[in-house]
Amino acid sequence: MSDEAHERWQGTTTALGGRSDYKRVWDRQAAEYDVASLAVGGFIGEDTLERRAEATIETLRAIVGIRPNDVILEIGCGIARVGKPLSHLCLHWVGADISGEMLKHARRRLEGCGNTTLVELATVGLQELPSDSFDLVYCTIVFMHLFEWDRYRYVQEAFRVLTPGGRAYFDNFPLDSDHGWQIFTQGAQYTLGRRPAHLSMSSSREELRTYLSRAGFERIRIDDLPNGLISVSGHKAAAA
Amino acid sequence: MSQPDADLQKRAAALEAELSALAKREASYRAKMVQEFADRGERNTYMHSLREEIAALVKRGQEASSDIEVLTRKLEAELARSAALSAELDAVKRSLSWRVTAPLRRFASDIQATPRPAAARLIEHSPADGAPFTYYLHTSPFRIYRGSTFTLRGWAWPEDGRSVTAVRANIDGRLFPGRHGIDEAEVLARYGPQPANSSPGFEITFETPEGRHVLGIEAQLSASEWRTVMRTTIWCEPDGRA
Repeated sequence: MSDEAHERWQGTTTALGGRSDYKRVWDRQAAEYDVASLAVGGFIGEDTLERRAEATIETLRAIVGIRPNDVILEIGCGIARVGKPLSHLCLHWVGADISGEMLKHARRRLEGCGNTTLVELATVGLQELPSDSFDLVYCTIVFMHLFEWDRYRYVQEAFRVLTPGGRAYFDNFPLDSDHGWQIFTQGAQYTLGRRPAHLSMSSSREELRTYLSRAGFERIRIDDLPNGLISVSGHKAAAA
Repeated sequence: MSQPDADLQKRAAALEAELSALAKREASYRAKMVQEFADRGERNTYMHSLREEIAALVKRGQEASSDIEVLTRKLEAELARSAALSAELDAVKRSLSWRVTAPLRRFASDIQATPRPAAARLIEHSPADGAPFTYYLHTSPFRIYRGSTFTLRGWAWPEDGRSVTAVRANIDGRLFPGRHGIDEAEVLARYGPQPANSSPGFEITFETPEGRHVLGIEAQLSASEWRTVMRTTIWCEPDGRA
């Protein structure tokens, strides 16, 4: 195929909808706090938020561990649902999100938590953060809203910003759990033209394992979580 | 446990404590580094937005210079035309026919001096009287107006402490109501609270028909009288008809 024909072919392809415009998609959903809370976790009340956050923290503790001297990064922190209670258990917690509107709510919720930092990401990736800086990077209830290429980009970036010996954790819903199948069938009910940009999309265990393996992680582990999600975790090799 | 073993255990515990303290210091240093890295990024973004603002201001400056050049050429042409007309008038007044017909003009002038009914009002709405205002226009009115409409934005309050209850533009007597009560947090932060005008911003869109006009920005005070905030001559050359 000639270059000219290739160019014409590229010109005829259609953009994959607005899903990739994550900043716009999530800024719109975060304009009001209760809607933002629903969008990131499906619940509104502060009590429910805290209860669910405790469950996430227990999962992190069991799979990758949480240490008092840890400098922790959450990718896609939203309104700091997990970050607020987690900041009491570590040295410093950093929340990164592509939505500046979400971070406004997070900032308000984190008032008084001195060991926290919020970073608005300009685009997919962690270019705002330095390499070899974090002991733990985690990303929960985020991958379902991303395209596969962007999921992998965040895994790569997590590897970069982790210190040697650092740990990483990611999760998503699989198709083969009841919870995952329920999400899938709910998504299937949208008509073609009405599918929202944030529509949840599943991951397979092999997909998640491949991301971490390709990014350079070691001691990769897949876990089936009690809430119907699957998680993948791994370590960045310690310095020799 | 023998004494050497106990000593060893003590030393190991001390070393472990030292290691832990070191790990904490190292982690604190990393947390600080992350914070500074993120701050620097934010500053860079701010610098970038400032540079963009400067570029926009430079562009506006260039456009204003271009407008001044066009207006200067118009003024020069008008001055030349005025000089030519003056010379022509002088020539007419020096002519024999002008002097011969002088008694006739005097007679006509006497007849015209007789009182006549007042001429119909040429303009629909006279400009309102002026009053001292503190004001600023975000969009400068000093330009050549090239569109068919224009929107002026600014803020104003009267210095006598009354409240502004409406705003409008007066173009040669034609009125264009505007929107007022727009928040101007930065202005209040600078000038202090304005109890009668807590949201002193306004926005007025008006038509800009071709030609030279008198533009007045007028404010209604305490829901009664109208006062002129500022008045200036404007020159409109809608695109394609310049």
